[in-house]
Amino acid sequence: MSESIEIEVGGQSADLTAPPAEVAAPKPQRTSRAKQAAEPTLEVEATAKRRARKPRAAARVEDVDVRVVQPRAAAPTEDADVRAAGKAAPKVPPAAAYWDVHPGDSLHEVELEVRNNASQQQGQAAVMGNVAAGLIALIGENMRRMTEEQVGKVRELLSGTDLSDYLDSSFWQGVGMVLQYQVQEQVDFVKRRLRGEYHVDPYGMDYEMIEVVRPFMAFMYRTWWRITSHGLEHVPAEGRAMLVSNHSGVLPWDGAMITTAVSADHPVRPDRVVRSLHLHWFSTLPFVAPALAATGQVPGLPENAVRLLENDELVCVFPEGLKGVGKLYKDRYKLARFGRGGFVQAALRARAPIIPVAVVGAEEIYPMLYNAESFAKLMGFPYFPLTPFFPWLGLLGTIPLPTRWSITFCPPISTEEYGPRAADDPLTVLSLAERVRDTIQATIDTRLAERTSIF
Amino acid sequence: MSTVLINGIGSALGAQVARQLSAHDGVTVLGLARCEPSAPVGCAEWLVAHLSGLQLIELLRAEHVDTLIHLDFAGADAPAEGREAAVQQNVLGTMEVLGACIAAGVSHVVVRSHVGIYGANPKNPIMLSESRPAARGGLSGLLRDLAEVEHFLAEFTVRHPEISVAILRFAPIVGGWSPLLEYFAQPSPRTLIGFDPSMQLLHIDDAANAIVLAALSPCAGAFNLAADDAVCISQAIRLSGQQPVPTIEALIGLSASMGDRTKLRPWPFDISFLRHSCVVDTRRAKDVLGWSPTHSAVDSIHSARKNGRAIDDPATSEAAMRAFLSRKG
Repeated sequence: MSESIEIEVGGQSADLTAPPAEVAAPKPQRTSRAKQAAEPTLEVEATAKRRARKPRAAARVEDVDVRVVQPRAAAPTEDADVRAAGKAAPKVPPAAAYWDVHPGDSLHEVELEVRNNASQQQGQAAVMGNVAAGLIALIGENMRRMTEEQVGKVRELLSGTDLSDYLDSSFWQGVGMVLQYQVQEQVDFVKRRLRGEYHVDPYGMDYEMIEVVRPFMAFMYRTWWRITSHGLEHVPAEGRAMLVSNHSGVLPWDGAMITTAVSADHPVRPDRVVRSLHLHWFSTLPFVAPALAATGQVPGLPENAVRLLENDELVCVFPEGLKGVGKLYKDRYKLARFGRGGFVQAALRARAPIIPVAVVGAEEIYPMLYNAESFAKLMGFPYFPLTPFFPWLGLLGTIPLPTRWSITFCPPISTEEYGPRAADDPLTVLSLAERVRDTIQATIDTRLAERTSIF
Repeated sequence: MSTVLINGIGSALGAQVARQLSAHDGVTVLGLARCEPSAPVGCAEWLVAHLSGLQLIELLRAEHVDTLIHLDFAGADAPAEGREAAVQQNVLGTMEVLGACIAAGVSHVVVRSHVGIYGANPKNPIMLSESRPAARGGLSGLLRDLAEVEHFLAEFTVRHPEISVAILRFAPIVGGWSPLLEYFAQPSPRTLIGFDPSMQLLHIDDAANAIVLAALSPCAGAFNLAADDAVCISQAIRLSGQQPVPTIEALIGLSASMGDRTKLRPWPFDISFLRHSCVVDTRRAKDVLGWSPTHSAVDSIHSARKNGRAIDDPATSEAAMRAFLSRKG
């Protein structure tokens, strides 16, 4: 298990570094790890999690002075070599020094270092190192959800502690204090929610809830579907843009994964939420409606799209709509009609660039063999899928298949050169819509040709 | 020099508008109320009466009123007494007032309305603009009356271009009596299970500011007015110090028709407002009227909650005493 995953990591990173056009390259090889090393910011979290699960050869390095941090260059195996290169920094300064930028990220580097050191130790020291790394990872995870003020408090608690020196007793003291503080903060978080002291935007987006579901989405992204994202540099770190994607897979998982791709894999790591537009029918479903609103999704009406773009948001639309999600398995990867070009009109009105997005892999997560239309009509559903697993297995049938995905963000199509009247010109609108559709279809075809297996 | 008549000066909102208008030079403020004003009205002169159309024309002509502020709606500032009387006052009363304004040569009318007239519908965009027409169905009570008034006004303003009518569509006002606040503050208010839409609120100070601005400038058309932030309904209940009880729709309806009316306050609007959000865009009011809200929705709930409660915070008491002692210095 661990071995095969390791290969995937290498392949994934290789794809990330290469421009999308060149990815016709053959199967990823183990040698591509060198590329991974050159891109330290990408994949950091995922590799860390996988490495944590990797069985570790205990006796790797001979005798190490327990108090001194072992220089990484001495690591003999290829594995350790890669990890050392991945960290980029030759000698890690005391942890507290570089926390100001991204507390979570720098803690992550400390965690990798501790883990690396532990792998070179023996017996108890190695075990302690692994525990220490785990605790640091936990602290880092918690800190992603904390406010500036709370991060400052943690930094203060840890200021005297060298985090990479886990055999010192002050390390355990510091970590213990921080964990106690963080548990207390979690309790405070729940209490604060119950008092109603949180903030929602007019669309109902609740940033705290997004932070809560983020780890689950990251799990689906990294582990379940092992998604490779290409061309994320085309997504602007700030300012308006409209992502236009193909839609598939019965339930709108693709929208959630595009959101996760931008929040987890973007080279700049912008703190922005993709506002997906969903069919307004979903707003009438109990429990679904507030969940969609809290995670920043908005009913798909042209007015909403224009308004969000004018607020310089990143909007994601699925012009295929129901024809896309409710697609039969035999029609997979054939784009349906792109509505009447309403999304182009919205982009032209707001003068936002259009970024075509091609999602490959989502079509197979629920292979829909038949659409029980008459039953759907009876229940008021837009479609009722019959898959090999649903509804026969009940709730189990709603677990999506773990196919392997790729998400490609194509170069943006500018709408600046069209005048303000262009939105009312059906010819311009329809030709632009056609251009976007052709781009997505071509990208899907390329990715499909590269793909060797759906899993 | 202008003369402003406030119809509905008896309510907390009307009294506040009167106080603010009397601070302006060259404005004579008159008031008409169905009951004695509950709050000080500044230097406004007022009468308590229920005038018919002809009497109203006589009053407007005699006092040379050129601006009329119409705030007199049943169920908005005090509990309505009977549905039939409320429709009489809200719909027919407004038609009478506008007819009298035309006959007496009043040039400017400000009418109060509610953002709920757009209805709560999944097909309504979020951030509704004023160009959206009032809903044709799915409303009841005060909102239905107001929607009817809006439909009447849409026709009326086209037929009578000589009079400028400003319609102020307020988000639920916090401050003074309001059925929504009673609902929020009761123990375990019932909400609809599986839904928690966002909603906007408006502090009474900001509402009064908007009325004053609209009365003193020759503006026409509809204006949405709401605080800049939004709250979820469950959040508003929690901010009011209660915990929401999600219930199925049938039970909410049951609680509205049965039960102990003195204790249970049902959701004051239609059930659809518990299901879908009704959030408006206030850009027009900011651009045309120059209005901007000074209180956020969260602040106004907090201040409403504190209202009428004994202060148990020693720091606040200390600050209040210091401020009092230094009043002469």
